[in-house]
Amino acid sequence: MACPICGKPTRPEWRPFCSKRCADLDLSRWLGEDYRIPAAGEDEPDDDAPAPPDGEDEP
Amino acid sequence: MTTQETKVPVNGNGDVYDAESIKVLRGLDAVRRRPGMYIGDTDDGSGLHHMVYECVDNAIDEALGGFCDKVDVVLRADGSCTVRDNGRGIPVDLHKEEGVSAAEVVMTQLHAGGKFNQNTYKVSGGLHGVGVSVVNALSARLDLRIWRDGKEHFMRFRDGKAEQPLTVVGPAPSESDGSSRRGTEVSFLPSVEVFSMTEFDFATLEVRLRELAFLNSGVKLTLTDLRHVDPRTIEMHYEGGVQAFVKHLDKSKNPLHDPMIAVAGERDGIAVDLAMQWNDSYHETALCFTNNIPQRDGGTHLAGFRAALTRTINAYANNSGLAKKAKAALTGDDAREGLTCVLSVKVPDPKFSSQTKDKLVSSEVRPAVEGVVGEGLDRWFEEHPGQARTIIGKIIEAAAARDAARKARELTRRKGALDISSLPGKLADCQERDPALSELFIVEGDSAGGSAKQGRHRATQAILPLRGKILNVERARFDKMLSSAEIGTLITALGTGIGREDFDPDKLRYHKIIIMTDADVDGSHIRTLLLTFFYRQMPDLIERGHLYIAQPPLYRAKRGNSTQYLKDDPALEAYLRDSVIDEGAVFVTADGEQIAGRDLQKLVDRARSTKGLLEWVARHVPIRIVEQAAVAGALNPEILSDDARAAEAAGYIAKRLDSLEIPAERGWTGSPAEGGGLAFTRRLRGVTHRHVIDGALIESTEARRLDERAAELQATFQRHGKLTVKDTEHLIAGPVALVEAVNRQGRKGMTIQRYKGLGEMNPEQLWETTLDPEARTLLKVRVSRADQAEEVFSTLMGDLVEPRRDFIQANADKVANLDV
Repeated sequence: MACPICGKPTRPEWRPFCSKRCADLDLSRWLGEDYRIPAAGEDEPDDDAPAPPDGEDEP
Repeated sequence: MTTQETKVPVNGNGDVYDAESIKVLRGLDAVRRRPGMYIGDTDDGSGLHHMVYECVDNAIDEALGGFCDKVDVVLRADGSCTVRDNGRGIPVDLHKEEGVSAAEVVMTQLHAGGKFNQNTYKVSGGLHGVGVSVVNALSARLDLRIWRDGKEHFMRFRDGKAEQPLTVVGPAPSESDGSSRRGTEVSFLPSVEVFSMTEFDFATLEVRLRELAFLNSGVKLTLTDLRHVDPRTIEMHYEGGVQAFVKHLDKSKNPLHDPMIAVAGERDGIAVDLAMQWNDSYHETALCFTNNIPQRDGGTHLAGFRAALTRTINAYANNSGLAKKAKAALTGDDAREGLTCVLSVKVPDPKFSSQTKDKLVSSEVRPAVEGVVGEGLDRWFEEHPGQARTIIGKIIEAAAARDAARKARELTRRKGALDISSLPGKLADCQERDPALSELFIVEGDSAGGSAKQGRHRATQAILPLRGKILNVERARFDKMLSSAEIGTLITALGTGIGREDFDPDKLRYHKIIIMTDADVDGSHIRTLLLTFFYRQMPDLIERGHLYIAQPPLYRAKRGNSTQYLKDDPALEAYLRDSVIDEGAVFVTADGEQIAGRDLQKLVDRARSTKGLLEWVARHVPIRIVEQAAVAGALNPEILSDDARAAEAAGYIAKRLDSLEIPAERGWTGSPAEGGGLAFTRRLRGVTHRHVIDGALIESTEARRLDERAAELQATFQRHGKLTVKDTEHLIAGPVALVEAVNRQGRKGMTIQRYKGLGEMNPEQLWETTLDPEARTLLKVRVSRADQAEEVFSTLMGDLVEPRRDFIQANADKVANLDV
């Protein structure tokens, strides 16, 4: 398994990281609000919406 | 150091020799009485090896003077060590003051030798000039051989005393190039009366000789071990100086920048030679040398280097604007993380804190090194802006990590019952104090949090509402995150503290931590964030089985007075199916076979699975066309590769389609399409519609699985069947029709509410469905599943927006089912 921060192999004592350094840097990002995920706001086009009619012929 | 100054002037001849030799012997006796003062520890081996270094240092001094390019060290089976160089050879002429050969003076008098004469060596490793005479004093036997002016000279000492004066024993042997050999050879057998440990360690000597090889470009050093049956020799010879040394030290690491940084210069008579490189590790390796001698404990040269480094890094970070990204001020420790450097200074008359020279204390060295290194670093950073950016980036991360560890300690110390109660209206704690009986619900959103607070079992259930902060990243794009305040509140509520050194899972205040989020994409993202946080920062809690995911219902189905909560779409469909069957539904095939009860349940489930396959194949075509093709058994590449059979199949499907239309809307025609597909056309109200089942789709796994079901589909649906429920009859032409009829029929008289969020449930409903330990379902988060959250999270965090979007769509379900 790879360290989520630097990609080096995970060390069991620091799992899932490779080192205290990477674990601390990760914590720094949580505390610093660096970890963001896209919000599914109304502005986002809805990909599940039906595609434009392409010859639907159902009555 | 002052023995020579008090020396009585020579005014006789034979008597003087005797008197002087007594005095000399007294000097060497002093060495034997207190060897530790001169050579270091005589028990742990460091003094023993220092004996070798003293001899080698003399040879290297010749090399520094440019007179020598080869030094051989040989460990012999009798316990002795030989050090030989090809320098000028110790002077053999009579020393005017002492009346004996200069070589004998060097071997028997403390503080004798060329090093005290600044004209002989501008720079020298030996500080007190005690070197080789101390080796002699502490050796049971020492043989000195000198090749000089075409002659070989020899003399032997026992316990420091000369057995006879220096004698010419023959001509110097010829070297391979025909010249006559030059140089000095010292073979000494350490005295067992002085050293309790007399065995030389090959690896220890190798390290030191390798250092010397790096620091003295071009000098070839060999180390030979003759103590074992198989003799062993290693040769060390480097041209690249300190840069080659850094490269050697970092050979198993990845450099952060290329080229490495090299600084060389001279100031106030002090020569500075530095090579440094940051690598992707987090450890600092700093080796410093004064006149080739290592200082394990650093000193003024290292201090000067560090001051210059810290100042340059901070100046560059500020001037380039990179410092704005930093969350904490950059310190020297941050700057040195992952740094490998070799600093070599040449200092006339250096001062060390001890005879073993572990620390340099000459105060004039610090400003000289600081000046040379500061200028060199400034220039390098200016000339390598891209590399500089990478380096500063790493240092900023190091500062962030260090700062986080500090914050973790603060957060951890802050915990305690008092603090829990003072959390600003966030946590609604439970009354129970036994963690094994306590639960913490982490609830998304304030309104859901409000309902949960009212609906919970106050004694054992605590509620922590999290909102998730929204940030407008760019126009029409919003990001969601957990605010640092929320993370802090969560950590405080859990009671475990945070950070690799402070986290203590035994202090967990709730043995069930239950994440409760909406069943939509936003909810699944918040859940992914939380799971990732626990997985990365509190993996113990997951391993101990403390983390759960609540299962709030997605639907509420109400018929009359009975209410049913259903957690997802499959649960709803199963519920609708069962209510239709309970009402006495019967499916009658065209042959008159009647299917009801459990058999009908199986038939509907099978039809639903077939419908899933059809939907996959029918992404660009109306599903009923694919449905009829499947019932006709036409989704078969073998049939479609034969034009005649393909045309026949297409015609048959068109007829089946017509049979499902009202008379006015019939007129389907079918034909094989290019690439092994099928095309269907109908003209309706003056417009022609054409649909093509692509050949590639027919090759797909899903289409093959449909084809495998062809026989069973034909048996049930070849001719239209009927679904009869009470007095309602549905015409069934295929599996899709059956599923849709069941859903339609099931919904009759039923009110189905889809919860868009937890907030739509009132406190009682939330209790009944999600909070009540007797009624709820919890999913336990397992480690093997939590790393899926990690994978999802990593992709969500990725820089590329488009792949990220695709991944979110594809994985919304995966996140939802993370822990089944």
